[in-house]
Amino acid sequence: MKKKFVYGLCFLTMVFMLALPVFAVAAEDTIKIGVTEPLSGTFKDIGERYLDGAEYAAQVINESGGLLGKKVEVIRIDSELKPDVATRKAQSLILRDGVKFFCGGTGSSVGAAMEQLAEKQNVIMFTYGMDAASMTGVKCNKNFFRPGGSTDGRSFALAQLIAKMKYKKVAIIAQDYSFGQEALAAFKKELAKISPNTKIVAELYHPAGTKDYGPYVSQIITAKPDVIFTPNWGNDLTLLLKQGRPMGMKQKVFSYYINDEVTIQALNDDKMMIGNMGAEIYTLSIPTKKNEAFVAKFYKDKGYYPTWLRGKAYIATMFWAEAVKKAGTTDVAAVIKAWEGLSYDGPAGVWTMRACDHQAQVPYWYTEIVAKTKYFKHAFEAPRGMASAKSVEVPCAETGCKMK
Amino acid sequence: MKQKSISLITIVVLFLVGLFMPFILKQYHLNMLTEIIIFSLYAVSYNLLLGYAGLLSFGHAAFFGLGAFVTAIAIIHIPGISLWNVILIGVAATVVAGLILGGLLLRHKGSYFALLTLAFNALFYAVATKWHSVTGGDDGLSITRPNLALGFTSIPLSSLTTFYYLTLVIMGAAIVYCWYFTNTAMGKTVVLMRENEDRMKFLGYNTNISRLILFTFTGALAGLAGVFYTFHFQFVSISAISPDMTTAILLMVFVGGTKIFWGPILGVFVYVIFQNYLSNVTDRWPLFMGLIFVLMVLYVPGGLSGVIMNIKQRFFGKKNNNGDKTAQAEEVIS
Repeated sequence: MKKKFVYGLCFLTMVFMLALPVFAVAAEDTIKIGVTEPLSGTFKDIGERYLDGAEYAAQVINESGGLLGKKVEVIRIDSELKPDVATRKAQSLILRDGVKFFCGGTGSSVGAAMEQLAEKQNVIMFTYGMDAASMTGVKCNKNFFRPGGSTDGRSFALAQLIAKMKYKKVAIIAQDYSFGQEALAAFKKELAKISPNTKIVAELYHPAGTKDYGPYVSQIITAKPDVIFTPNWGNDLTLLLKQGRPMGMKQKVFSYYINDEVTIQALNDDKMMIGNMGAEIYTLSIPTKKNEAFVAKFYKDKGYYPTWLRGKAYIATMFWAEAVKKAGTTDVAAVIKAWEGLSYDGPAGVWTMRACDHQAQVPYWYTEIVAKTKYFKHAFEAPRGMASAKSVEVPCAETGCKMK
Repeated sequence: MKQKSISLITIVVLFLVGLFMPFILKQYHLNMLTEIIIFSLYAVSYNLLLGYAGLLSFGHAAFFGLGAFVTAIAIIHIPGISLWNVILIGVAATVVAGLILGGLLLRHKGSYFALLTLAFNALFYAVATKWHSVTGGDDGLSITRPNLALGFTSIPLSSLTTFYYLTLVIMGAAIVYCWYFTNTAMGKTVVLMRENEDRMKFLGYNTNISRLILFTFTGALAGLAGVFYTFHFQFVSISAISPDMTTAILLMVFVGGTKIFWGPILGVFVYVIFQNYLSNVTDRWPLFMGLIFVLMVLYVPGGLSGVIMNIKQRFFGKKNNNGDKTAQAEEVIS
């Protein structure tokens, strides 16, 4: 008798707990887009800037009458930079709220997991900042789009820049994991093709998160390169410069993410940065009318500049909205079809979504860090031309993507 | 005898209710319920160690994660492998791991045992993180559920409802088996060992062997839960094997209460539902979960099931327990 009572109570409690969520309020009819970014932890700053760009895009769309007559609603998803956390939260949103569109910019591991989830649940995932080439290569699927850059594109663009500037000796250094290895491999491949006379005088790999760059810097200095190429980011870029410059590593550094205002501020010594060059799909200083108008409006609305991360997320989200507009419906299959081959002429030039691997063909904009700009008190970027989308294109057959 | 039949009726009723859930619940809630059932087995297996045997382990996630990873690796590397073989391989791997770890660890007791299990969990975690070519490292592994082959027919498990039924049947059976286990001679031995090991030794029991069997058994159950965790999410990452997963299960079991068999299941309900709703409201939901945990430990050491027991006591004046000393003493006094 007593056991029965306990079981009864246990059971009732469980049913009650399960029934709780039923009382959730039904949301109004909007087009929902889930933005998966790390909104807590070490990479919070990166995630928040991407999110800001995506939210601004939604704001601009809604101000001009919405998308297909509906408002775009951004749902923040804190991925904690963990693929299982991101997919679990996304899965809930798909099942409960019928969210069909997701995007994100931080962490190729999160992206790869979301890519698989998108295929299984038949939703769309797109990224503007997860750069591992394999995501639109061997791992590609029809539900995943990359209106953004890739390690291949960036390395090609920088190799071309170095060749064009006629440097003969290059030292290359990268973090020793798939991202760094892919970046250097693409760089070497392109350089060997377009400038066979340019020598790689040092090729170094260090563990991600290295604290002491002394041994690496000595090797670079001994090799006497003209310039240095590195895809390092975050602390690995800051420390390389911070420890290398005083040791006598005077060479220009060519890097993926050189125009990050937070890195420049963290260095707190403009001299270490001035002269370094980068290539990025969106930079604040792109000298086009459309970009100037975008930057001016953003600054007026927000009081600060849409630097790289914000700009990339903004343009990618606008590009997605174009695809939905063209499809005329939020039906996933229709949006996929509409996005394939679609071009978007935005602040960063014309972006075209290639159908064979869903990798947008985008131009890369070169920048050089100079002492004075109109944007910040510290050193920041100045435009130095561009690599056209055609010039950094990886042919469909070479990507390894087999679209089902 | 009468109690046993009442329990059996309860189990059958719960199972029947479970069968009807897909008709009542929305997909989203069904998804959550599936997760709850999977974690219930994990929690029950942990409580056999903690509540029944009094072994505080900080390394239970090693088994859970091992089952989860072996599943994903088997599905990826053995094309066309059947669902049953995947489950078999997953559980077999954890049995082997349980025997090895148990053999090494069980001579130690109390804090030594707890810290050693933590160390082994950290070791498993490090291997999963660094062995990128096999485990996918930070990227994790993505899989597709194999079909359920029943000999005469093959049922696709891609839909949530069919997978829910499979989970209900297998996880449910495993949980019922655990409950049955606590009533066997072996199960009673475990409780007696916790209460007075010297006496058990004096009576001629080899307590080391009994503990090893229990440790391996609970490890295998956690592994089975891990196998279904991978099936459920169709994805496994290092989170599944990280010490965080042990913390999570510790929380669930403590919140539910370790003193009765069904307590941890209650804890899982609370944890999973809180996780789903709190994480919508705030990114800092683990903070609130932690607060609840601290408050529970301080003021409600018996957990939620303890609260229910107290309420029941007001009606019947007697406590039901798994042989806990204090409860027995109270019973004697009352």
